[in-house]
Amino acid sequence: MMSAFIFRALKSHILATVVVILAAAVLVPASNLLLPADHALHIPTYVMSLMGKYLCYALLALALDLVWGYCGILSLGHGAFFAFGGYAMGMYLMRQIGSRGVYGNPDLPDFMVFLNWKELPWFWYGFDFFPFAMLMVLFVPGLLAFVFGWFAFRSRVNGVYLSIITQAMTYALMLSFFRNDMGFGGNNGLTDYKEIVGFSVQAGGTRAVLFAMSALMLALCLLIASAIVNSKFGKVLVGVRDAESRVRFLGFRVENIKLFTFVVSAMFAGIAGALFVPQVGIINPGEFAPANSIEVVVWTAVGGRGTLIGPIIGAVLVNAGKSYFTGAFPELWLFALGGLFIAVTLFLPKGIVGTIQGGFSTRKAIKVASDAEKGRGDVTPIAQAAE
Amino acid sequence: MTTRHFFRILITLLAFAFAAPTFAQGNDPKPLFDQLADANFNDAEKLVGQIAATGDTRVVPALNAFAEGDLYFRKSDKAVFAAKAAASQLELIDPVTGESAGQVAKGAVTKIKVNNNLRRAIRAALGGLTLMSPDRGARLAAADAILRSPSAEALELVEAALAKESDRAVKARMQEARAVSLLSSDRSVEEKRAAIETIGKLGGRDALGILNSVSSSIDASLKPDLEAAIASIQNEQQLWDMAQNVWYGLSLGSVLLLAAIGLAITFGVMGIINMAHGEMVMLGAYSTFVVQQVIRENAPGLFDWSLAIALPVAFLVTGAVGLVIERGVIRFLYGRPLETLLATWGISLILQQGIRTIFGPTNQEVGNPSWMSGSFPLGGMTITWNRMWIVVFSLSIFVGLLLLMKRSAFGLQMRAVTQNRRMASSMGIRTPWVDAFTFALGSGIAGIAGVALSQIDNVSPNLGQSYIIDSFMVVVFGGVGNLWGTLVGALSLGILNKFLEPSVGAVLGKILVLVLIILFIQKRPRGLFALKGRAIEA
Amino acid sequence: MTFKARLGGALLAAALSTTAFQGAFAADDTIKIGVLHSLSGTMAISETTLKDAMLMLVEEQNKKGGVLGKKLEAVVVDPASDWPLFAEKARQLISQDKVAAVFGCWTSSSRKSVLPVFEELNSILFYPVQYEGEESSRNIFYTGAAPNQQAIPAVDYLAATEGVERWVLAGTDYVYPQTTNKILKAYLMSKGVKEEDIMINYTPFGHSDWQTIVSDIKKFGSAGKKTAVVSTINGDANVPFYKELGNQGVKAEDIPVVAFSVGEEELAGLDTAPLVGHLAAWNYFQSVDAPVNAEFIKSWHAYTKNDKRVTNDPMEAAYIGFNAWVKAVEAAGTVETDKVLDSIIGVSVPNLSGGTSTVMPNHHITKPVLIGEIQADGQFDIVQETPAVVGDEWSDYLPDSKDLISDWRKPMECGNFNVATGKCGGKGS
Repeated sequence: MMSAFIFRALKSHILATVVVILAAAVLVPASNLLLPADHALHIPTYVMSLMGKYLCYALLALALDLVWGYCGILSLGHGAFFAFGGYAMGMYLMRQIGSRGVYGNPDLPDFMVFLNWKELPWFWYGFDFFPFAMLMVLFVPGLLAFVFGWFAFRSRVNGVYLSIITQAMTYALMLSFFRNDMGFGGNNGLTDYKEIVGFSVQAGGTRAVLFAMSALMLALCLLIASAIVNSKFGKVLVGVRDAESRVRFLGFRVENIKLFTFVVSAMFAGIAGALFVPQVGIINPGEFAPANSIEVVVWTAVGGRGTLIGPIIGAVLVNAGKSYFTGAFPELWLFALGGLFIAVTLFLPKGIVGTIQGGFSTRKAIKVASDAEKGRGDVTPIAQAAE
Repeated sequence: MTTRHFFRILITLLAFAFAAPTFAQGNDPKPLFDQLADANFNDAEKLVGQIAATGDTRVVPALNAFAEGDLYFRKSDKAVFAAKAAASQLELIDPVTGESAGQVAKGAVTKIKVNNNLRRAIRAALGGLTLMSPDRGARLAAADAILRSPSAEALELVEAALAKESDRAVKARMQEARAVSLLSSDRSVEEKRAAIETIGKLGGRDALGILNSVSSSIDASLKPDLEAAIASIQNEQQLWDMAQNVWYGLSLGSVLLLAAIGLAITFGVMGIINMAHGEMVMLGAYSTFVVQQVIRENAPGLFDWSLAIALPVAFLVTGAVGLVIERGVIRFLYGRPLETLLATWGISLILQQGIRTIFGPTNQEVGNPSWMSGSFPLGGMTITWNRMWIVVFSLSIFVGLLLLMKRSAFGLQMRAVTQNRRMASSMGIRTPWVDAFTFALGSGIAGIAGVALSQIDNVSPNLGQSYIIDSFMVVVFGGVGNLWGTLVGALSLGILNKFLEPSVGAVLGKILVLVLIILFIQKRPRGLFALKGRAIEA
Repeated sequence: MTFKARLGGALLAAALSTTAFQGAFAADDTIKIGVLHSLSGTMAISETTLKDAMLMLVEEQNKKGGVLGKKLEAVVVDPASDWPLFAEKARQLISQDKVAAVFGCWTSSSRKSVLPVFEELNSILFYPVQYEGEESSRNIFYTGAAPNQQAIPAVDYLAATEGVERWVLAGTDYVYPQTTNKILKAYLMSKGVKEEDIMINYTPFGHSDWQTIVSDIKKFGSAGKKTAVVSTINGDANVPFYKELGNQGVKAEDIPVVAFSVGEEELAGLDTAPLVGHLAAWNYFQSVDAPVNAEFIKSWHAYTKNDKRVTNDPMEAAYIGFNAWVKAVEAAGTVETDKVLDSIIGVSVPNLSGGTSTVMPNHHITKPVLIGEIQADGQFDIVQETPAVVGDEWSDYLPDSKDLISDWRKPMECGNFNVATGKCGGKGS
C-alpha cells in the first residue's frame, strides 16, 4: 500500500538524519579540538556552542512536533518544560560552585546569601548529586505535564482552549519564577557556573562533550519519537489528531494516549533545557515567556510539522537566521521573523520538509489538514497517514 | 521639616496682623523679592515669610508664580520678576505691581528654584494672606491650606477670619481648619474636646492623619475621646475601603473588557487566534498620539476634544489595517485556526517593529484632557475621572456592539456567516466581505480601546504585548463566541484580582488568577457561557 | 516633533555600515568596540538610546583622530532583550569580531548572563546602568550608580530636608529593588526608624493598575507622620504609576515620591504638570548647569537630528565609561585587555556634571549624587548635589557583604576580599 511505502521512506529519512546528527556529534568536536585554529575546516568554540544551542532548540521543536504534529495538541507552553529541565540542570550547576561563590558561602548560592536566606530551601536538596539532578530533568517536566495533562485531557479541553491554557500555564510560571521569594534566583536566574561533573564548563573539551551530548540526545529522542509514531500506537495517535471522537468511539482511551505523548514530549523538552543551560551559561525566567513557546511553534511549522525531521531543520534554520540577522541587520530582524511566519503559513503550510515529501499531493493535504482542524472528522485515517 | 519655618512665617504674620490690622503700604516687599536671587532654600523660606508678613496682598500672584517655578531673576541686575512665556521669549512681570517689565530672551534670566519645603511654605503663606481675600475661592483654598498643615499659630488668624466670614461653605471649612489648629495649641481641654468631635465628624484619611499626629502630645484626659474619634473614622473607612475595592475591581475589569472586546469578535466570533490584536490596541493608542500631536501644533484650544477626535481616527486606521490583514493574509487561512495564530503573530512582530522604526522605541506622551484628570470624592472613596470615564466608555462600547450584532442587518449577516457559511452564502450574503468587515470591526474596536488605554498606560511599541495574554484569558474564561461572557468574564476577573491583591500582593494575585482560570477551564472546558450546539461540540 | 523617522533611517544606515565591515578580515587600521544593547523586545525602550549615544561617542572620537592613531569602529549587535542571547552575542563580539571592549547591557540579568563570557574570554565590559551592587568582576566596569551612590543619599535628603519619618519602599519584584530595599531598610532602621514605619510593596513587571497601591500609600500616609515613597519601580510601570498618583491627588508636598529608575527618558511619556516636586536621585540630570553638559546636549541633538531628544543618567555613565577606556588605552599604548585593566584604575575623566569621575580599584567610579525635583517641562530641578561619592560594590548594610571589599590592583587582585578573615573569596572556609 501507498502508506506503507511512505512509512518506509520516512524511516529511511529518519535514519539518514540520525546518521547526519551522529556524524556532527563526532566531526564538529573533532574539528574544534584537533584542527589548528587557522585550519580552513576548524570550527571555533563560539560556533560550536552556537550549534550546540541550535541542537537543543531542535530537540525542543522535536518534542513539540510529537504532540502537535502527531497528536494535534498545540502546546503554547512547551517553553515551560524546557525551562524546568534547564532549572534542574542549573540548580545542579549552582550546587557545584560550592564555596567559590562571591560570598564564599559553602552552603548557599550567592543570590540566597545577599537576600539573607539562612538555609537551603527543601527543594534544593539532592541537587548536589548529578544522577539525582538528571532524574529531575526528566521527572519535573514529566510531572508537570502529567498533572496538567491529567486534568486537561480528562476534561476534554482541546483545540484553542488547550493552547490558551498552556500559554496561561507558562505565563503563570514565568511570573512565579520572577519572584525572588521562590528561591530560584528571581529574574537574574542561575548563572556563573563553574563545573559540571568535575570538568570546567568553560573548558573547550567540556564544550565539545556537551555538543556531542546534545547531538546524541537529539538522535536518541528522534529514534524514540520515530519508534512511537511508527508503531501501532502511533497510528492511534494520528487517529486522535484527525478524528478524536471516532477514536474514542472505537474504544480507545483518548485521554491516556494524549497524556502519554504529552509526558514523553515534556521529558524531551526537559532534556533539551538541561543541555541548553551549561552551553549558554544561564537559565532565567525569560525562558518561560509565552513568546518563546510561540517561537518554538514557528520552528516546527517552518520545518514541517508531523515529519519529525522537519522541526529539527526548522529550528536550526530559524535560529541560524536569528543569529545572523541580529548581528548583521539588528533593526530588520523582527521584520524578517514576522515575514517568515506569514510566508510559511501562507505558502508552505506543510513546512519545508512536508512540502518536499508531500510533493504533488500538497493541495489535497491542506484540505485534509484544514478539515481535520475544524474537527469535522470526515477524513479517512488512511488519507491522513499518507502525509 | 520646616514646621519651624512655617511657624516663624505665621508668627510674623500674626504679629503683623495684630500690630497693624489696617495695613499701610509702608513696608515694601519688592526688595525682599530681589533678595531671593541669591538666597538658598532656607533663606528663601524666611524671605517668603517676610514677604507674607508685609501683608501686601498684591504679592499673591507673584508668590503663586514662585510656587509654580515661574519666578526668575535677571542676570544683569539680579532683579526678580515673575515671568510667563511669550512666543520664544519670556515676558517679565513685576512681582509687586504686576506690571509688565518687557520681554527678554530666556538666556537673560535665571529661574529661582523651589523645592517641596519652599512650596509648602509658600502655600502656607498664601493661606495666611488670602484668608480674608474678597474672592470666595481664594478663602476656601486658604482654609484648605491651613487644614492641610495645621499649627497652633494659625489659630488666631483663622478665628479672626471666621468672625468676618459670611459664606456658609467657607465658614464650615474654616471651622474645621480652626479645629485642627486648635488641637496643637494650648487651649483648654473643653475646647479641644469639641475640636476632636468636629474633626471626627469630618472623617476621611486627612482627619485620621491629623488625629493620629496629636495622639502622643495630647492631654491624657482627652485620650479616650481621641481614640473613640479615631476608631469611628477607621470603622467608617473600612466600609468605604470595601466599596473602593469593588470600584477598583470594576475599573480593572472594564480595562480588561476594553482590551478584550475586539478580540471577542475576531477570536470569539470569527475563530481567528488573533495574536495581532494587541498591536491593534497599540495602533489605536498611537493614533491618539498623532491626533494630539497635530492638535498641539495646530489648534491647542481643541485639546480637550482630542480624544473625541481620536476615536473615529483610531477606529478608521485600525479598521483599515484590519481590513488589509484580512484580505492579505487571513482569508487564506479560514478553517485553520492554529495557523492564524502563527500568521497573526508574525503580523504583530512586523507592526511592533514598524512602529518602533517610525516613532522610536520610547514612550510617547499622550496627555489627559482636563476632564480625564484628577478625581472626585464619593463618600470615603476617591474616584479618579479617567477610571470613571473608562468604565462608562467600555460599557457603552459593549452596549453599542451588542446592538450592532443583534439589531443591525450587518450584525445579522455576521452571525449568519459564522454560524453556517455555506447556507449564508446561498442566501445571497457576500461572505468574503462580511468576513473582511467583521475582522475590520474587531480591529477597529481594538483601536478605540487603544484610545482609552492610552490614558492610563504607556504608549510604546510594547503596549499591545502587555494586554494580549489577559485578553485571551478574558475571552476564553467568558466563553468564546459570547459577548456577555466577555463582559462577565472581564468584570469578575477584575474584581477577583483586586480582592486578591491586598491580601497576597499584586504579583501572587496575578499568578493566582491565572491558576484559577486554568482550573476553571478544566471544570468548564468551554468557558463561563458556553455556546451550546453541535457545531462547537464536534 | 517627536517623529523619529529620520532616526530610523540613521539607524538603518549605521546597521548597514557595520555589516559592510563584518566578514571582512579585521582591518589593522581600526579598533573595534562592541555595542551590546537590545534594539528589539521589551528593553529596546531604554537601551536603544544608549546604542545611539555610543555611536555618537565613537563618531566624535574618530573626528578627534580616533585612538592610538586608529579609527574606532562600533560593532552593533541586537541581543533582543533575551538574556541567553546576550551571552551568545557577547561571545560573538569577543571571539568573532575581536572587539577590544564592549559597552552594553542594561538589566542585571543581562550582565549576569555575559559575566562568565567576559571572564572566560578575558575582555572588558562597561556597564552603564545603576544596579544593586554585590558584584565586582575583574572584567567589568560599573559606571552606573551603586546603591550608596543613589538610594542612600536620597533617603538622607528626604529625612533631613523634608523630615520624613515613615517610608514606603515600593518596587518591581526583581533583584535590584529587592536588594536596594533590603539595604535601605537596614539603613533606615540603623537610623532609628521603627519597623512599623516602613512598608514594602512589590509589583510585577509592567504593572499597570496602580489604584490599590496608590490608595494603600495614602492610607499608610495618614498615620500622622510625614511619609515618603521610595520607588524602585522599573521603567514601563512608572507611567501608569505616576498617572495614578497625579489623578488620586497625591501631591509631592504631602507624600513625595523619590524614584531611582525614572529619568528624563521615562518622563518623556508623561504629562508632568501634576507631578511637580516628586523627586529622583541620579548622578546626572539633563538640567545640570555645566558647559561640558551643554556641549554634550548640543552634539546629541545634532547627532540625532532632533532637538527634543533628552539626555539621561545612563548616557552619562556610558560617556564616562567610554572616555575612561579611551584614556586608559592611550596610557597603555595598546588595547590588550590585561594592560588596559592595569592602566584604567585611577584614570580620571570629566563627567557631565562639571566634575571628574575616577575609576576606582573596585571597578566602580566616583561621582556626585544629585537629587532633582520633577518640573512641569519634564526636566528636573536639582535641589541637592553631594560631593563625589565612591561606588560601594559590597553594601555595608547587608550582613554577608559588609566585610567584603574589592581591589583589582596588584597584588590583591580580588573582587571579594574578606577583611575579617583576610582572605580572598568571600567568607572563605
